[in-house]
Amino acid sequence: MSTPHYQPEDRVPLPPKNAEVLTTCCDYCIVACGYKVYRWPANAKPGGPKKSQNALNRDFVLPGSTSIPGRSGNWVSPTQVTQAAYKGKLYNIAVVPDGDSKVVNVGGDASIRGGCIAQKVYNPKSPTQDRLKYPMVRVHDTLMPVTWDFALDIMADVSRHVLKNHGENAWGLKYFSYQYYENTFALTKLAFRNIGTPAVAHHDHPAIVNSVPGWVDIGYDIFPAAYEDFSLADTIFLSGTDPYEAKTIVWNEWILKGIQKNKTKVIMVNPRRTAGVAHIEKNGGLWIDITPGTDQALHNAIARVILEKGWEDKEFIKRFVNNKWETDSGFGQGTRNTPWQWRTTWGKIGVVNGIEAYKKWNLGEKSADPKVAAKICGIDVKKIYKAAELMAKPKRGKRRKLTIGIEKGNYWSNNWGNTASVGVLGIICGAGGKPGSAVTRLGGHQRGGRGGGPYPGIRSPYKFPGRRRHRLDLDRWVEAGHLRFAYVVGTTWMQAMAGSAAMQDSFKRQVKLNPNQVKSFDKKEIIETLKKRVDSGGMVVVNQDIYLIDPVGSQYADIILPAATWGEDSFTRENGERRIRLYSKFYDAPGDAKPDWKIVSMFAKKMGFDGYDWKDSNDVFEEACRFSRGHRSDFNAIKVAARKAGMKAHDFLAKRGTQGYQAPLLWVDGKIMETPRQHWYDRNKNKKFAIPETGPEGPTVIKKNIMAFKSQTGKLNLMKTPWNFYWNQYHDYLKPRDGELWVTAGRINEIWQSGFDDTERRAYIQQRWPMNFIEIHPADAKKRGIESGDMVTVTNDRVAIQKDFNLGVKGDDMYFNGLKKRGHLKFESGEFSAVAIVTPAIKKGVTFTNFLDKKQAFNSIAPRVPDPMTMNYNYKIAMGKVKKIGESPFKKSFSQMSFIRRDIA
Amino acid sequence: MENSKNDDRCISRRAFLIGSGAAVATTVLLNNIPGLEGKAIAAEVTTYPKKKIGRLSKLKANKPLTFKYPDDGKNSQSILVKLGTPAGGGIGRKKDVVAFNTLCTHMGGPMGRFYQSADKALGPCPFHQSTFDLTRHGMIVTGHATQSLPQVLLEVEGDDIYAVGLIGLIYGRYDNLKG
Repeated sequence: MSTPHYQPEDRVPLPPKNAEVLTTCCDYCIVACGYKVYRWPANAKPGGPKKSQNALNRDFVLPGSTSIPGRSGNWVSPTQVTQAAYKGKLYNIAVVPDGDSKVVNVGGDASIRGGCIAQKVYNPKSPTQDRLKYPMVRVHDTLMPVTWDFALDIMADVSRHVLKNHGENAWGLKYFSYQYYENTFALTKLAFRNIGTPAVAHHDHPAIVNSVPGWVDIGYDIFPAAYEDFSLADTIFLSGTDPYEAKTIVWNEWILKGIQKNKTKVIMVNPRRTAGVAHIEKNGGLWIDITPGTDQALHNAIARVILEKGWEDKEFIKRFVNNKWETDSGFGQGTRNTPWQWRTTWGKIGVVNGIEAYKKWNLGEKSADPKVAAKICGIDVKKIYKAAELMAKPKRGKRRKLTIGIEKGNYWSNNWGNTASVGVLGIICGAGGKPGSAVTRLGGHQRGGRGGGPYPGIRSPYKFPGRRRHRLDLDRWVEAGHLRFAYVVGTTWMQAMAGSAAMQDSFKRQVKLNPNQVKSFDKKEIIETLKKRVDSGGMVVVNQDIYLIDPVGSQYADIILPAATWGEDSFTRENGERRIRLYSKFYDAPGDAKPDWKIVSMFAKKMGFDGYDWKDSNDVFEEACRFSRGHRSDFNAIKVAARKAGMKAHDFLAKRGTQGYQAPLLWVDGKIMETPRQHWYDRNKNKKFAIPETGPEGPTVIKKNIMAFKSQTGKLNLMKTPWNFYWNQYHDYLKPRDGELWVTAGRINEIWQSGFDDTERRAYIQQRWPMNFIEIHPADAKKRGIESGDMVTVTNDRVAIQKDFNLGVKGDDMYFNGLKKRGHLKFESGEFSAVAIVTPAIKKGVTFTNFLDKKQAFNSIAPRVPDPMTMNYNYKIAMGKVKKIGESPFKKSFSQMSFIRRDIA
Repeated sequence: MENSKNDDRCISRRAFLIGSGAAVATTVLLNNIPGLEGKAIAAEVTTYPKKKIGRLSKLKANKPLTFKYPDDGKNSQSILVKLGTPAGGGIGRKKDVVAFNTLCTHMGGPMGRFYQSADKALGPCPFHQSTFDLTRHGMIVTGHATQSLPQVLLEVEGDDIYAVGLIGLIYGRYDNLKG
């Protein structure tokens, strides 16, 4: 059987001493490791092995070592070399982790994903050759290249027609919320400030909502930690992720250091026993193998044990928990018709009288009884007691420094309940706001979103019971046939959303089955046809991306716009510890592809909008700077510093290489001052970061977040998290029956997201993961006659889909049982195929698959019933029947896929 | 070469095609190497040395032997092991004898002592826990390497096992034969 051309080389060209060196960061996960790009002409003599002969500044043969800036790293793997055109000439390019780095990927460490990123570069000799290069229009159901003006004229005319005749709500944007400040600023400026539509959603939500609403209520920011905190903690509680798998360098360079140097004890809450779990178990840690969707009970019970033993951090609670008057005060949170107010003052979940009131509630809550919780979670009750001990039992009279890190396994399997209850655990243990102790998300994508205008909430037709407005749920809006124009930028949309099979059906209905299809290349006729489609209840789709994505681009887009990406323009973005760096342009974009901000400006001008005269990405960045003021990402000081130095902001930032600056940035004594961590209440005791007594200077904004918590008072709010509030209704429905198994999904270390760069175009990864997989326990596999390497189907014939938005009147109208009763749910089937991996490293009764395989989409079986309080999908919790259909070709292959267990210690 | 049915198609591993000297090395397809199934491998001007590293009859299942290849220089540490199950590139009657360089291709961690007999894997690397599948040409099972573990090509003459080539670049070197 032939393999996808993975050719292990036995030598690599070293960059010569005079190679140009630029800095950038990885385009993939939240950690954003720093890389150096070496660029030298294709016909130049390569460098030699002596330090004086190569631009890496290393003597070959390199010894193996890690984490020594200047000494480790800088080995060039053959995967890290490619060729690309720059200013029309051919160059050799090496993208190598920065071996001199003292931050993030210290000493040039890298994950497998970023380590291979040189293969992302457009090189027509490689599988990247099918990059989108020219705008295209669909005529006779065939996408054909046209000019930019042709494509954008159609887009503008149809848009104007939609806005005039169907209103702003009929014009929608679905976009990647993370793909560099320059691009997201341009897109949101267009959508919010000029068009004024509420029909906008990010790549990972059906509406623009908070991922971690429980923490919004409590007062914890989502990215407050310094990576250093992971190496200083006494105990780390990780829920819903194994950083080894998907934020690898946080594990490699920070958590591992804590374990090795600090004897950090790590608790991992995860139904999978991953490589990280195997390692922490060997080092005094604890694996809590819960059934999906039951974290809330686990957290309630751990809190009970801690309170009963008197291990709560009384000092912290006294200092930082809101009392009765503080709970009820202030704008933004508290009374006056805010989301927080309706959630808390209905009595069910708000805690108004501090820790005593919380204690009273917890002692009366059934799910907080460790025996009950153990049963709900399907775990050994001893683990609850052990967790409480590791988190809160004083160590030789001193409080343990506890860091809590969560990700989607937690907050997308009971979005409000899991996040609120784990946040409460943080309060009880005194976590957050000091070195070694943070309550934080680990992150998924990097943080590259900058709003260019305010969300027009008043235009959303959705509301909660009572008077509160809700953000527009774009998936439901499309399903209900209300979207006439869809601008889809950098996302698959369908495979990325829950209930993806049903989502596809709506696209088919609105776009393909509408009788008005383009059959002429005459621009006027095309516009008339698309207008008729829109007027007859159909939808026009414009898809902007770097590759042609199936089906949103290849099947449904009327117009395709080719985008330039990482390395093809200079961009900025922050990582999970708020570190902003410049991602340098280092090669030419393919064909006539343009950066997203540029496409937006061209379209905006055709629409007659002002304020889009940007000449380069630096212009966009400099305009976005002031919009960042006061936010977690505040990078405005960079522009101030650049102006002072007489430089462009991008150029000023480039001087900081892969180190960048940690936001929010302050301006003190005429210089930039960084913020290593948020909520740092003893910040002023550290001279390097002390805020002057005279207060903030110039452009600096000091929000409470910087030295206190993120609430109206700067103190934290306790919450009640009863199991029987509304989550249990949904969980009862989801519980596997009739031979079903839990099916949960997540990232896998070797693949980034939908695999557009790796499982689709990187032979080294394609050989590892030629097809989607599903991990299944041996007992469950045996019952179904399944062996490793067998091809299976996973079917869910009761995928619950919320059809439309119901106007909530009575309190429980919007919970699962209420929705069902009032006819707002339909039940459909979804399925995907996969290769089975039989492994004891998954909880019995639970299976695990890749969350975003484009061709074999897990989301087709993920129920689409948004959390009624928060509007988030609970993606990570589905059920299905797993059936063998035969053997895959990989079962007996020696060169593709591996079935060895991932949890060897 | 052991057990070859079509000897005229069997290319001696000691004679490789000349590389072009361009930035990307040219490749040659070796059809008849058991387990490689048409995988292309890089070529070099100079030949890889042929080095005797052990005897089939002396090899015990799951008891690895260490050796150095292609020279005695830095990062040449390698491992020869009889897995007990067939493997890609395996020689011997059961096609289960394989050899690999033991430096993790992530950051050069020393994995020589980390053979997992139950799983037929090498790892987890003591540096950052990368693990490699010895039945599948050193493919990464889970971990951070950007290249499979370099596989040592083996030949058998009678009872003698010879190392005759390398697929993949050894960590820390820029050219397997130059350093």
